[in-house]
Order: sequence, then structure tokens, then C-alpha cells
Amino acid sequence: MADKSRRLFQWKDRYWRVARSAVQAVTLALFLFLFLRTVRGGLPAQAGTLFLHLDPLAMLAGLLAAKAYVKGMALALLTIGLTVLFGRAWCGWICPLGTTLDIFHPRRWKNKQPSIPEAARGIKHFLLTLILTSALLGSLWLMFLDPLTIMIRTLTEAVYPALDRIVAAIEEALYGIPALRASVSARDRILRPALLPADPAFTAGGVLIAAFFIGIIALNALAPRFWCRYLCPLGSLLGLTGKLAIFRREVNPAACNDCGACARVCPTGTIRPDKANASDPAECTLCLDCVSACPRAGQSFPAHLRPAGWNSYDPGRRQALAAIGAAVGGAALLRTDQYLRRALPHLLRPPGAVENDLLAKCIRCGECIRVCPTGVLHPSVAEAGVEGFWTPVLIARAGFCQYSCNACGQVCPVEAIPPLPLEAKQQQVLGAAFVDRNRCIAWSDHQECLVCEEMCPLPEKAITVDYSEFPGGAPVVDRTRCIGCGTCEYKCPVAGEAAIRVYAPGRDSV
Amino acid sequence: MKFTRRDFLRWSMLGAGASIGAQMLSACAPAASGGMTRLPPPTPGAGSTYLAVARGGDDPEALVRRAVAALGGMERFVPKGANVVIKPNVCTAGRAYEYAATTNPWVVGAVVKLAREAGAARVRVFDNPFGGTAEDAFASSGIAEQVAAAGGEVEYPSAMKFVSVDLPAGETLKSTVVYGDVFDADVLINVPLPKHHSLAQLTIGMKNMLGVVRDRPLMHASLNQKLVDLNQFLVPTLTIVDAVRILTANGPTGGNLEDVRKLDTVIATHDGVAADAFATTLFGWEDPQRLQYVKFGAERGIGRSDLQNLRIEEISVG
Repeated sequence: MADKSRRLFQWKDRYWRVARSAVQAVTLALFLFLFLRTVRGGLPAQAGTLFLHLDPLAMLAGLLAAKAYVKGMALALLTIGLTVLFGRAWCGWICPLGTTLDIFHPRRWKNKQPSIPEAARGIKHFLLTLILTSALLGSLWLMFLDPLTIMIRTLTEAVYPALDRIVAAIEEALYGIPALRASVSARDRILRPALLPADPAFTAGGVLIAAFFIGIIALNALAPRFWCRYLCPLGSLLGLTGKLAIFRREVNPAACNDCGACARVCPTGTIRPDKANASDPAECTLCLDCVSACPRAGQSFPAHLRPAGWNSYDPGRRQALAAIGAAVGGAALLRTDQYLRRALPHLLRPPGAVENDLLAKCIRCGECIRVCPTGVLHPSVAEAGVEGFWTPVLIARAGFCQYSCNACGQVCPVEAIPPLPLEAKQQQVLGAAFVDRNRCIAWSDHQECLVCEEMCPLPEKAITVDYSEFPGGAPVVDRTRCIGCGTCEYKCPVAGEAAIRVYAPGRDSV
Repeated sequence: MKFTRRDFLRWSMLGAGASIGAQMLSACAPAASGGMTRLPPPTPGAGSTYLAVARGGDDPEALVRRAVAALGGMERFVPKGANVVIKPNVCTAGRAYEYAATTNPWVVGAVVKLAREAGAARVRVFDNPFGGTAEDAFASSGIAEQVAAAGGEVEYPSAMKFVSVDLPAGETLKSTVVYGDVFDADVLINVPLPKHHSLAQLTIGMKNMLGVVRDRPLMHASLNQKLVDLNQFLVPTLTIVDAVRILTANGPTGGNLEDVRKLDTVIATHDGVAADAFATTLFGWEDPQRLQYVKFGAERGIGRSDLQNLRIEEISVG
């Protein structure tokens, strides 16, 4: 029986493409599933950070910057191992951003390689050197260029909220039809809060994040996988590791009739007709499109033990020095605005995160923002200075830190937000609330309110009531008790800036 | 199968058309405030119990059953096939029932059971917590579990279900936005618990109805008058006060077991004002009129606070 089926089924070279696409689809689906279901959907925090832990750039940069090992970082060695065997197979088979770029691959460029100078491939190596040197100097500000952080940030802050708004608008319209009410209501119950947020999600700078992502997609129009060829710092790291790849593409001169099919289909354009259709293993994503396209089975992937050769666009001494210089200068320059951070009165960080420590550990992945159930965490645009770009900040007008939640610290893959147990997190001071008596309607207008006091979640409320001003009572913050969760600021009915605001704690003196 | 650009446009147009059509249809549908189906609370006959108080024992369900039985049974309030919504107080996430920040889960479960036994077609439990997500709050309070065990459903708030309503008899509150499914229920059972509250002094039943209003922070100016307006507009068919535990300080969110008193008491009555008036006595109050919304409610005539003139049945359980 087994023999017969073996005869019935014969592996053909063109199946490689199908196999690769299938693996890509499954991996992307897994990535999205973990994105949706971790913490909120009941999966443990470790599940959601699986991809980030497999990302050698995020883990290496994190290790260099924090100079401390965090549990789970070693998983990235799996990816390095894969790369030592098969080169940039991560890029071609696994990377969620790579798969997304393949989905948006414009068909009509497929048979023509763009005329972009090969030297442009060096940009990604420059970025990698810049990122790793900056990391060594304690700054991870360029980690927003990591493909996984791009995916998570874009999904969290742009795709997911926009999708929520679209679904909500459709639901609302259909719910208006009495006959459809029951069925819309039942479907809504499946969607929310398991997949979509119960309350509308607010984002800070979601448009900017979407524009950045659309820019990367749009570059695909210049060349397939433009990002992976020229810009991706993770691609650079894997590519340079891939120079050691044991299994790499080789053209069999006896079989090759120089038809050029492989060079035309190569999505990274690394097959060079002018060099007997040879390719650079540091650029090859092992997609195997060339194998599927070749009419004469002219390619094989034999084992090599000698590293592949260096190319003109690979990092040279001069480029490395320039990148290191830029990193040193950049890091120094970024630190010059540190005094400004003293002047940022509302710079609130997730529970337990310490400012300078956060800047050195946070890989800007946005996992904390994704799991925050009350929408208080947002990627900073200007709140935390240039170096803090896209690091998590609390915006208390958009949400509040739920007293009974410690999800952000559990999910942070690099412990930039420490994994505090709930009891410790409930005592963690994020800031302190102050009442602006000139804006507070109780103090200034003698209007009944006390919403801030009512909603203060502490067992012994940090807001007390002063009945001497008027019989309805006016709020007073007890700063020895306040933890700065921001519930009062979020709920304050005063329009615009709240009459009770949380100020940054004075914990980081510069 | 190939999905061409033409297909995409065709489906998009169809979707857009359906959405616009739906909006037009919904504009033609009768306004929510016109389709009132809620049953008014049945007034007790002469000589029968006006308000029942069950005390003692360690079984909240028994307290609920005995108190409701003293009023003539749940059948008086829930007709067969009725769509019942129960409104407990589930104000915040992260508080187990022992902290008396949220209604006792077994009290809620017992009310669900009684409504189902009376023949209700559908029994849902609704609240819109302010401290954290609704799912977290229903889970941490233990209410989600008991509602499911009793055969009811939790109605988690959904943004699309809020409706704008006018309060024609409202003196301070003329219009607001309330949860449509509560508004549309045939039978509304209010299941509050008495707690300390700085602005209102105490939050009991009439105050618990605030949970169906969407924009609550704005409600706090002239709160007591607005509560009377709201309770006049949205009259619970039955009020069952869960005083198994009460919260005496740091309310309404609590969190400190020293502020909790275990009383093992359940109060039931059709009159939301009388329920609250009686509940003030649990805090040792001599005069229920000290609670402003009770005073204003009695003055408006939406209920009674003259406890001495009411037929109150005290039941001792177990």
C-alpha cells in the first residue's frame, strides 16, 4: 500500500513554492492567533511573546543594551541555528512582515528586476551596525525598525482599532433594524470581548504608525520585498549569519542553459545573470521560487562548510566606522535632551518601569499596549522625547491603569516592565494625582461631583472629602496613599484637561 | 476561485448598500421611547406584605426565596414568557464578593433561578462597571459563574445598544442615554447592595439604577434629584436588596474587609424608595429621610419612606 502511494505521489520541484506559501500562511495565522488570544483570550503571556523571543535582533540588542539576560532570550538561538543551516529561511518562510510583503507583491513586477544599485543592499547593514552600537551604548531607540515590532505595533495601534471601528459601524447600522437585533447581538457576543475590545479602542498616533507601515508596503512597488533587500536590520543580521549557511544554492553548469528564469522570479533579485546565475546566500531567503521556475532542475542546495564570499555591498571597514560614529554621536545627542524629560510633567510609565532602565530595555514591540485592557498605554509620540519614541506611556485621558491588572509586566518579553505580582503592582507608584482647585467643579463652582473620590480604587481611598468648602464636599488627594493609576483623571467630568491630573513621580533625577 | 477587482468592487458596493439601507430602515423604525413594554410593579393588595425582610442563616438563596415568597412569590412579578433583566451592582473589577463592593453572587443566582422557575423566557444580568472591564468585573465578583449555574446569561455592555431617551416627567434630568436592553425588558429586577458613598451618603437601590446610564460622571451634579427622575422613568418591577454584607466605609469600591459588615439580610419589595428607606436602618439610621434621594423620591410620590405605616414582614431564616 505504502509503495503504491509512493508511486502515485511524486514530489515535483514546483511544489516547493506551494510548500513555502503554506508554511508562511500557517506561521502568519499563528502570529495573528497569538496576537488576538494571548492574555485577553486566556493564553499565557509567554505564548504571545514567542515570536519576539525568536527574533535574534530584538534579543541581541536587548542583551547588549540592558547587559542582563532575560528568561526566554535564548530562544533566538533557534533562529540562529536555522540560519546557520539554511541562511535567511526565516525571511522567506517565517517572518510575518515578509509574508505580508509577499501578499502585497505586485504581480506585474515579478518578471522584471528593478534597476536599483546593488550598493543599496548595504543600507540594512549600516542600520544593523547603528542599532547594535547604540544598544551597546544603552539606547534601543531604533528598535522600532525591527520587523516584528513593526507588525505588532501596526496591528495593535492601527489595524485593530480601525477594524474595530468598521465592525462597530456595521453592527450599529444592522442593529438599527429590529428584525436583525437578536442575531446582531448574538454575533457581537462572539466578537466582543473575545476578539475585539468591548469599548472602542483609542490610539495615540495610529495614523503615523499606519503611514510608516504603508510606506514599507509601498516600497514593494519599487522592488519586490524592497524592505527585506535594502532596509531590514533583522534581515541584515540573518544575512551576515547566513554567510555561514551550510545548505545554500548552487547552479549546476551542466544543466543550466542560461534561460534566466531563476533570475526573473527571484524576489530578492540576488540571482545574477552576469555571474552565471550565482546568488548571495546573505540575500537569498530560500524561497525556492527559482527551483520551481527552473525547467531543467539546474539548482541544488548541497552542504558547504566554507563561508560564502564578501560582496561589494557587504559591510566594509569604512561603512562600519561610519555607522559606529553615527551611533556614538546619535546616542550623545539623544542624551542632550535628557534635561527636557525632567520638564515632562505627565510622563507616566507602566507599573514598575524606571525611566532610564526602560529606555535601555524596551524594544518598542508594543506587547504591553496590546494587552492593556483599559487602553491607558500608548506608544509615545512626543510624550517621552526623541529617545522615547514609540515606548509605552500612560495617557490617563484615554484610559486608566486597572487596579486588578498586571498584564503589561507579565507580557513584556525583555522585562523593561518588571513582572510584578499583583499585590506588588497594586502598591507600585506610577505618579501622584493633584487637584486643580481652579478647574474642579466642586472647588470652584460648588457643584456636587466627587466622581474622582468615588472611583478611586484603593482599599483606603487616596482621595478624601473636604466638607468645609461646601456641603457637597470637594476632593483632596492624600499623596501618601495615591499610586497614580489615573482612574480619577480618566473619569473627571471636566471637559478638556481634567481637573485632577496625575503627575510624574520624582524618581529619576538627572 | 479567483477574487477579481470587479468582485471586490461588487461586494464593497453591496456591503455599502446594505449598510446604508439598514440605516434608512432603522430611521423608519419606531423610536425606542415609544415601544415601552416594561411591566409596572404590582401593588400589594390590602392586608398583604408591602416589604419583606429575611434575616439569618448562612444561605443567601434561602433569604431571597423566603423574602420573595412573603411578597406572594416571583409569579406576581414575572409573567410566563417574560424577558427579564436583573441589575446587580457590579461596579468594579478585582473585588471578590467578600469585600461587599459587588452584589453577592448567590443572591443574583437565586433571583435568576426564581425568575426562571416563574417561567421567564429569558433572564439576563446586566451592569456596566466603571472600574475595569465588564468581563473582569463579572468574573472577579463571582457573579458570572453563579448566573451561568442558575441558567441565566450575563449581558455584557455593548456600545451599540445604548439609546437616547427623553424623560418627560424629569425635573432635572430631561434626557439621557440608557442601555436599550434594560429599557426594553418586560421585567426589571434591581438587586443592589447597600454601600457607603461619599456624595450620596449611601448607595442602595435607586442609586444602583445609575448603572444603566451611559455617561455617568455627568450625573453627579444634583445627583439626588436626577436619581429620582431616573427612577421615576425606569421603574424596577421588583427590588431585592442584598444585605448579606454591607460596606460601611471607602465605598462604593471598598477593598478593605474591616469596612464590611456581614448581616445575612435580604429585603424585597415592589417599592424602590421603601427598599432604600428600610436599608438605611441597617446602618443604624433613625431617619431614612436623611438620605436625600429617598426624601425627594417620597416627596415626588414615586414610593414611600414612612416605614412605620408600611406592612413589613420580618422573617427569620435558619
